[in-house]
Amino acid sequence: MASGSCKKLDRFPRRESDKQVDAPGQTFRHVTRLSRVLPAACFCGLVLLLWSSRTLRSDNFVFYLPTARSVIPLETIDGNKYLPLISILNTVGKVGALQEKRDSLKLWFGETQIEVRADDKKVRVNKSRLDLAGPVRRPKGQWLVPVDFLTTVLPRLTSETVEYQTGTNRVFIGDVRPISFTVRLDRTANGARVTVQFTDKVTMRTAASNGKWYLFLGGRPVEPLEQVFHFQDPYISELRFDDQDGAPKLILTPATGGLDLYPALAEGGKVLLADVLKPPPAPPQPAAVEQPMVATGSPQPAPAAAGGEELPAGPPLPVVVLDAAHGGTDVGARSRDGVLEKDLVAQIVARVRASLLAARKFRVVLTRVGDVNLTFEQRETAANLHRPYAFLTFHAGNLGVRTPRIVVYSYQAGSPAELHDNSEPRPLLVLWNKVYEVHLDQSRQLARVLQQKFAALPGLTTDEPQEAPVRGLRSVDAPAVAIEIGTLTPEADAGTLTDPSFQQQIANVAAAALDTWRGGTL
Amino acid sequence: MSPRTKILMLVLLVILAAGALYLHVLTQRVSFQPIAGSGEEVARTRLSEAALQSTAGPEQMATLYFPSFEQSTLREEKRPIAWAEADTDRIRQVLLALIEGSHQGYSRPLPTPTLIRAVFLAPDGTAFLDISTLATGDLNSGIADECLVVYSIVNSLAANLPAVKRVKILVQGQEVDTLNGHVDVTGFFVPDPARISVGP
Repeated sequence: MASGSCKKLDRFPRRESDKQVDAPGQTFRHVTRLSRVLPAACFCGLVLLLWSSRTLRSDNFVFYLPTARSVIPLETIDGNKYLPLISILNTVGKVGALQEKRDSLKLWFGETQIEVRADDKKVRVNKSRLDLAGPVRRPKGQWLVPVDFLTTVLPRLTSETVEYQTGTNRVFIGDVRPISFTVRLDRTANGARVTVQFTDKVTMRTAASNGKWYLFLGGRPVEPLEQVFHFQDPYISELRFDDQDGAPKLILTPATGGLDLYPALAEGGKVLLADVLKPPPAPPQPAAVEQPMVATGSPQPAPAAAGGEELPAGPPLPVVVLDAAHGGTDVGARSRDGVLEKDLVAQIVARVRASLLAARKFRVVLTRVGDVNLTFEQRETAANLHRPYAFLTFHAGNLGVRTPRIVVYSYQAGSPAELHDNSEPRPLLVLWNKVYEVHLDQSRQLARVLQQKFAALPGLTTDEPQEAPVRGLRSVDAPAVAIEIGTLTPEADAGTLTDPSFQQQIANVAAAALDTWRGGTL
Repeated sequence: MSPRTKILMLVLLVILAAGALYLHVLTQRVSFQPIAGSGEEVARTRLSEAALQSTAGPEQMATLYFPSFEQSTLREEKRPIAWAEADTDRIRQVLLALIEGSHQGYSRPLPTPTLIRAVFLAPDGTAFLDISTLATGDLNSGIADECLVVYSIVNSLAANLPAVKRVKILVQGQEVDTLNGHVDVTGFFVPDPARISVGP
């Protein structure tokens, strides 16, 4: 055993000095061993490389139907795009029954029987066989078909027309007429103008996130001629079309930070004009505006001038952040007649925004644009980045039998021990979860002003402003209040809450209260 | 193949067949096992179990605070409870009584499928309550309602257990932002008598 062990050490020297004293024959054996190991290592590396490329990335694919749209996750395997078979069929119609075996799947779609086999390009549709561009895959038990299934097989399964342009991530099924657009960039005196000419009317909503501007184009399906437009321009670097979440939108990337966007629709909605301008030199902030303590670090994305309203010249207007609670899969409360809190508060926020912009005394930033899930941190970050003058978050819920009713909340910690001693000087750095402490008094004042204004509305029940540990207010670096509107509960219909005139009254009062609190008269 | 090998193979086959049959029976049992009874029954069963497991003493009047969502307030309800000896068991008893629901028609703060996963009482008087995610799924939504839910628990515990000074709520053993999107439960809660309404 001892000699064997020594021989092994000679054949596989561990140290450099060992190699140097090797006899020629021993060195040859060492090289021979290496020549075996190296290809194996290369093979393993290649396998790992190929393995990673099989699931390199995933994306979304949008199915546009005459009355609906569906977003289906897209998988990229070996450079080919794949879609889940059952999701496709359930989007277009309904899978009646299916029979799954280890390497084959048989399913019934209406009167049609479809059979696929794993790693086989052939698809059997009733008695005919069709060839796909790539083999059917079955990773993690999910049956995936190449995207050309949409043009090869799908037209045989439905009587509707299927329009799919190869390379894109969207398909139009049935009587869907997508609009398209062209883009032109012009230089202006202190910026650049992007002109987007659409083939039909669009609507527009704006948002800003991560230093980019989002121009949502409404509900019409859009099929762009080009997905991305790159510009060699000092103001705008890229215009990208995106509908990965089912919402067609243009994403405008500024070439540098500190620019302002002024979007507007023209020609009845067929032309979108997006002016990207250098802001005028900022004069000192008015004394009334609270200076936030949270450091932003990165260049601040310029807020979209919502709705394309021209902003008056002069000192920068204070920013009001409006937060429509919930969103996406978090629907919040719901009424007996199916009104969801997320939709109701989004409507009210849109009206408050319009009222504030009409007064031309505030700039408005929305934390949530569209029906998306947002974390509290995302909302707070979006608000704090804009150094807001005030923050209003809107909720709807069960406020008892007296309806309509409004309660305004400011933040109160669950335990007095957590409260900040106002007599102490403000610390240089404030913990994220203690930011509310800095604005407690102002938040209470704002809540009081709002409550007084709401109390003047006829037919509306209001309570004294309340203090509660509302999570959405905790880390906002501004005077912040939550406005809860009720009653929205499964036991009753939403009633007045959905009435546009009621919502507009609420919006007008909120805007007036903000102006009163600032010291003006709206 | 020798006779001995054949016998061995036969025995192995019989064992394998018996195992497969037993597995099939087990699968059937698992498939047809009811997941849960009605919520009311589950809550009452758990309450009874807790009472049986604890060393119950003589019954005493407990003060519970149930939400009245319609009136946006907490309502007091007295109920006899045979208190256990340990404070953590008493905390469980209060929580189970809240889950069981009001006998006077007030609302239930936590839905009946709620499980109390763990309860700790720290020497400084902090009660840590670890409840299941089932507690958050069916909660009434809204700031006012969620406040009532939290303070229903906190005020009820403080009213019956002098050792409980403040309460920390965990869900599935983790600290969470909110129970259902509104009230910040990352911190501690002390009782808030202002949320209790007396009289009719």
